[in-house]
Amino acid sequence: MSDSAHPLTTRRRFLQSTAAAGAALVMARPGRAIANTLGDKEIRIALVGVGIQGRVLMDSVLKIPGIRFAALCDIWPYNLTAGERYVRKSGQPVNTYADVDEMLLKEKDLHAVLIATPDFWHAPHTNACLRAGLHVYCEKMMSNTVEGARSMVQTMRETGKLLQIGHQRRSNPRYIVALQRLIREAKLLGRITAANGQWNRAVGNDLSWPPRHALSGDVLARYGYESMNHFRNWRWYKKLGGGPLSDLGAHQIDIFTWFFGAPPRSILAAGGVDYYKNHEWIDNAMVIYEYETVDGIARAFYQVQTTTSAGGGYYEQFMGTEGTLKISENPSYTAIYREAGAPDWDQWVAKRYLTLARGGPAEGEDGETTVDARETAELATFKLPVVLNKAIHQPHLENFFQAIRGKAKLNCPGDEAFASEYAIYRTNDAIDARQMLHIRPEEYKV
Amino acid sequence: MNSTDPAAATTPPSPLDPTGAMLAFLVLRGWLGIRALLAGIEKFSAKVMVQTPLLNADGTPDASGAIVEIQSKVYGISHYQALPASLQQKLADEPLLLSFLATPFYSVLGYLLVIMGVALLAGLFTRATLFGMGVLYILLTVGLILLGQDAGVAWLGIHTGLIAMALALVQHNRFTITRS
Repeated sequence: MSDSAHPLTTRRRFLQSTAAAGAALVMARPGRAIANTLGDKEIRIALVGVGIQGRVLMDSVLKIPGIRFAALCDIWPYNLTAGERYVRKSGQPVNTYADVDEMLLKEKDLHAVLIATPDFWHAPHTNACLRAGLHVYCEKMMSNTVEGARSMVQTMRETGKLLQIGHQRRSNPRYIVALQRLIREAKLLGRITAANGQWNRAVGNDLSWPPRHALSGDVLARYGYESMNHFRNWRWYKKLGGGPLSDLGAHQIDIFTWFFGAPPRSILAAGGVDYYKNHEWIDNAMVIYEYETVDGIARAFYQVQTTTSAGGGYYEQFMGTEGTLKISENPSYTAIYREAGAPDWDQWVAKRYLTLARGGPAEGEDGETTVDARETAELATFKLPVVLNKAIHQPHLENFFQAIRGKAKLNCPGDEAFASEYAIYRTNDAIDARQMLHIRPEEYKV
Repeated sequence: MNSTDPAAATTPPSPLDPTGAMLAFLVLRGWLGIRALLAGIEKFSAKVMVQTPLLNADGTPDASGAIVEIQSKVYGISHYQALPASLQQKLADEPLLLSFLATPFYSVLGYLLVIMGVALLAGLFTRATLFGMGVLYILLTVGLILLGQDAGVAWLGIHTGLIAMALALVQHNRFTITRS
């Protein structure tokens, strides 16, 4: 990724150029829904960033018929070689590159690019690929800065190419059925007044690297890293990543916005570097968002901790007057609870939207184990019977490729992702400011 | 009753109303037959998870392509299980139960119940079938006594009592394929 060949991929120049372009880029060609008429022809793609997340995407893509890897790109030969071998063993020989600019110059028959580089490279890489006429699937977060994310939406509109952001829950049929069938059609939860989400992880060591495969200082500096530790642990540094609210929280805070149908209007947050001595980003955060939904005000509490697994599990929970939905990418953490006074859900069980897991307290059992008279009685518990027989990223990638073929609309186009992610950028601001932040609706627009 | 019948000379006349006794035996035969037949068939059942597309009201698949997994009960030889695995394990841990007899017993239990149930309902070798069923329930009771499952023992005791009552009324058996 040389600085001279493609100025747009140099971050500073890129940001300067997009700022200068300004309003001229707005809404020129809204290419966010359906692409062209590629039909059923083979889609040739490149993967930029062959690290842990890149390999996750690679595994999913290899299971999708009609998609062929043509190129892999990564500045670290250690990852690049492993990725090349893996794809080749799957019957797809690929060209390899260290530099995105070189790849875009030489690979002339690509249709799309998947980007799984560190966050601070997302905007430069996405914009370069869009401008090269390619559709882009970019991992979340869109960028480590609001400006970078906004530029991606602008370039998407300017080029008319597709930009899908990797909030993969939006294509997960379990989440889609929960929202469309349980909440909107059946209105099982009644009026949703609150939500809750959490993702906690135990303490861990920084990622290491085989010493003989360390990148040289020149290479690291050329691509924006101060050291191998920065390169491997970019998520913890402010110039490179967005911290745990970005890495873990982004997926779940996106679900709040998606399910409530609106981004938050205010943020109250606290967090800090409580444990790790060498990290710039916070370890732990607790946040309260306030949403103005069509049904009224709702509040959501979000917690991310990287110093304790807190008993395990990660989920989002929507709490309403007639029921509560607790949903997670991991089905074992998913459950739906019916309030004691709510109408029965038999018709929805018959439609297979739900299955009964536990029927609540039996006749005459009330109070047997009650500690406090005000304690809520055990509720009827239901399961969501929808199963996903694929890797969790595969449906979102399939949606992207179907959109390229002109057969689907993107489930998470760049502008919708921006509206969702903007609140996450501002959450870090709220933590720094130590006061409630109010967000005007126009701030969510590009 | 024919006074020249040699059997009549050795069988005392029944104090019961013949029609009532016949109906009483038919009720017992029917209940015990159905009980054994269905108990045997159930040993060939299993609950499996079946995946099927989530459907719209008009019967078309949901646009998300969602697949729902629903528990379904199925029957088949391949699903045969004489006793739940947990119960088999508890019985295997009992020193008074002869382990070398357990495996052949488990392998025929379901089939025996089905055969006995059909035989009773059809009226095949009714007396011998009732006696065999009684022996079978006694064997099952032994295991439950050793495990201390008093409710199960009582439950089998009721069955055994009904079998004994049927044997006492077997002379009123009618609508049979074989005479005995």
